[in-house]
Amino acid sequence: MSENGVPLGRVVATERKPNTPHEFHFWTALDSPVGIGTIVRVHGTHAVEGHMPVIYGIIVDGFSYTDLQTPLHDVIGHDGSPAQGAFAATERAEIRLYTAHVLRQLPEEPLQPVPMGDVFLATEADVEIALRMDGYLRPEARTGIPVGIYRAGGTESPIYLDADFLMGPEAAHLNITGVSGLATKTSAVEWLLSSLFAHFPAQKGSIAAVCFNVKGPDLCYLDLPSVLEESDLAMYERLGVPPEPFAKVEYYAPYKADGRSLNTLRSNEALLHNVVPLTWGLREVLQFAEVLLNKDDVDAKADALIDFIKERVLDRDFSDEMLKNRHRVQSFADLEAFFKDVLRSMESARGSGQESWRTHHVATIRKVRNRLSNISTRCAGLVADDGAVSDLPFGNFEDRRVYVVDVATLEEDAQDLIFARVVSKLREHLERRDLGVSHVVVFVDELNKYAPADGQDTYVRKMLLDIAERGRYLGLVLFSAQQFRSQVHRRVVGNSGTALFGRMDADELATPGYSVLSPATRTKLATLEKGQLMVRHPHFTQPIFVRFPRPAVLRGRDGAERYPQAVDVTLDIAVHRSLRTLDSSITLNWVKDAIVLHDDGVVLEAMRAALRERPGNVKEFFQRRFRSVIKSQSTTRAAPPAAIQAPPGEDPYDF
Amino acid sequence: MALERPRTVQSSIVEAGPYCRQVSGEPVVAFRAFLDGIQRTRVLGYLNGIPLIYGTIAAVVRARIDRKLVTWRSPLIERRLYVPERALPAYALDALRNHFDITDTAADSDGAVERHPIGLMERAVPLVQTDRSRLEKHLADAWCADETEPVLVDGGISGSERAAKSGLAVGAIKTHRTLYLDGDALSAVLAMPAGNRSAAFRISSARSPVVSWYLRLRDAGGHDPMWGLLRVEIAESNSLSARADEVSRWLLAERTPLALPDGRWDRMTYGVRGCEEYLRAIL
Repeated sequence: MSENGVPLGRVVATERKPNTPHEFHFWTALDSPVGIGTIVRVHGTHAVEGHMPVIYGIIVDGFSYTDLQTPLHDVIGHDGSPAQGAFAATERAEIRLYTAHVLRQLPEEPLQPVPMGDVFLATEADVEIALRMDGYLRPEARTGIPVGIYRAGGTESPIYLDADFLMGPEAAHLNITGVSGLATKTSAVEWLLSSLFAHFPAQKGSIAAVCFNVKGPDLCYLDLPSVLEESDLAMYERLGVPPEPFAKVEYYAPYKADGRSLNTLRSNEALLHNVVPLTWGLREVLQFAEVLLNKDDVDAKADALIDFIKERVLDRDFSDEMLKNRHRVQSFADLEAFFKDVLRSMESARGSGQESWRTHHVATIRKVRNRLSNISTRCAGLVADDGAVSDLPFGNFEDRRVYVVDVATLEEDAQDLIFARVVSKLREHLERRDLGVSHVVVFVDELNKYAPADGQDTYVRKMLLDIAERGRYLGLVLFSAQQFRSQVHRRVVGNSGTALFGRMDADELATPGYSVLSPATRTKLATLEKGQLMVRHPHFTQPIFVRFPRPAVLRGRDGAERYPQAVDVTLDIAVHRSLRTLDSSITLNWVKDAIVLHDDGVVLEAMRAALRERPGNVKEFFQRRFRSVIKSQSTTRAAPPAAIQAPPGEDPYDF
Repeated sequence: MALERPRTVQSSIVEAGPYCRQVSGEPVVAFRAFLDGIQRTRVLGYLNGIPLIYGTIAAVVRARIDRKLVTWRSPLIERRLYVPERALPAYALDALRNHFDITDTAADSDGAVERHPIGLMERAVPLVQTDRSRLEKHLADAWCADETEPVLVDGGISGSERAAKSGLAVGAIKTHRTLYLDGDALSAVLAMPAGNRSAAFRISSARSPVVSWYLRLRDAGGHDPMWGLLRVEIAESNSLSARADEVSRWLLAERTPLALPDGRWDRMTYGVRGCEEYLRAIL
């Protein structure tokens, strides 16, 4: 036994299987605790330029064979009866031969083929050197973000990602691939966000996360704790991450079409305290009309009309000599009135052969009206007719806060619109450095839907490409996930500096993108357990297998069981539930009394305003809204009383 | 190398009954170790036309632990030069002695020294074999002195007095240039089926007398009559029949795994092949 410990193997090389600077072979005892993914250290035996070479490698393939020349010899040896195999007096000589890929050679120059030598199991310190983590784990410039624990043969070593390469500016973005149903992708992101929040270096600034919950209840309970096993707690402790749910989480969800209950799986009354309605008006939507309008549908002429509306009509006092009324378009309702006026006026003028208004043909106007008014229908609940806006707190983002936008139950168009607008706003604010934080992680699942490898170029895909290629300079970092990486646009996944792989589908592994992995590594990927990941990171010259703890947040499925979704309720109950999140003293009877004399629309508007403004005195604010509404209604209704009909002149009864 | 002339010898049969008999009982795994040696020769060069023959000899005991073979103690390895000393100039012999252990291939000839290079090579081979046997004997003696369980020796055990008298050493001879039975007994042996053995006979001509018998490991159908045939040597025993059956059962248990791809696999046990493979790997 040398001072380096007990060797577990010896490097071998033959003419048919030579060693190279990037690959070597070694054999071990049959009971050696190594396998695919194990990191080993090789000690050379001849000094090069005064330095004894040390090589670090990771096992990527393994072979086992005996001294049998052909299987037939074994058949003969057992007289063709497999049952007799157990009686063999001696076991055949057998070899465990492994192929390893070089992670690092020291000294790094001259780069030579791996020499013969003893092979040792890598220690924790070896793993740090092998993966070049020593460069970013120095106490004076530590930028390590724990991603999991590497385990092999008794060695247990935390694996860190470099924040400079995860969050920029050197490289950025993270992509996760894995089959559905094993909770790997969501769990990994939840864990990694916890780790990121705990370890993001102070010198790099502040960080927040915007997560799009695109399916199920996966991200709906990030602020609620889960029950962790001892092994998970040990991992949390080893990796220096508190085993706690996220302390600061805000949920955003649009209303359902009824406008009174939130369209989210987190609608249970007990959880509404940090659920904020997401509603946008015409201005917000028109900015991203491109997302919703089909390019084939909206040609250059329609585009020109939409631009005209955005620039000349929206939020301005607009009048036209041909139009009957003056317009100030601030909502879809206003827009509809505007279109009606325009079209009615054109019809009136038809006799004079007028087919256009301000160069826009009547057919184009009708088409744009149709498409735009459709939006408020397709995105009902998100787009408010009254123009009221309740949005993410752009400009006031908080450090270490998670903003979850729940779009799981929305129409695809609405999902696209929300995604496009939120990310664009994040980008705008980060460019101006006024978002409130310096780095934002945007998590998007089902990336193959939003940035598919083929199909037409959509606004969302273009935007994702833009983030992937330029986001790292802004601090806008994309954490994305999908089941089939091969079906995602290659520039999006290609720009992800870090890639995580959970258990993979065999068909997916058969695609060309995985040909760089050895067959054994692919097999391991196809059989990974829950909580295991393969990690690719710019500092790691080869993929590494790690384990990560179960997230400290309540699983979506458990949360959905414990906090069932609220059923659709009557208006008074909906208002009561909403207002009680602002003021717990509000009772259902008070709400009933307050709204009894008012229309549903007015009540909803008052409720939304209260939720949006979050006033100090909720009751007063809520009731004041009615007073103002009543007042304005009474004003508009203040028409002169109808004249009393004059009695007939020849009243035979002489009344 | 001149091969030994094939011959038959009528040994004295010391076991009553038929010439051949079925080995009683089921095969039993009992050998704790296997002993074998190898030799290699090559010509290093020629001096005055005399080949300088470099011989490497080695022997090893491979012990069986948990059905796996591991080296018992250390293998014995020697490297020697085999030359006719008298045929070499004195200065050359002195120079060679500085680098090699030397065995004189002409030590047993009083007259003129053989000068034919091929003849000299043929004279060296048995000397190399003798040296190999010496190493094997050394290991067999050591095993019998220090261990308590049986060892299967590739070849005869009569060369070692200690082994030939120990109940631990069993010799298995694969070559049959000399057949120790003749007449009907030989006919019966050559025709016996797998799992049968001959009646035991004594070999007194050897340095140390031993008891021997033939054992058919595999049916020879389609092969020559000596295919699958072993000759076994053990020390004298008071209950000879029982002992012969017992050792035969041990040997029958060694029929698997096969020693393929070795050409002698029909008679060779896997443990013995393991010794040879080990020595080939380290030499």
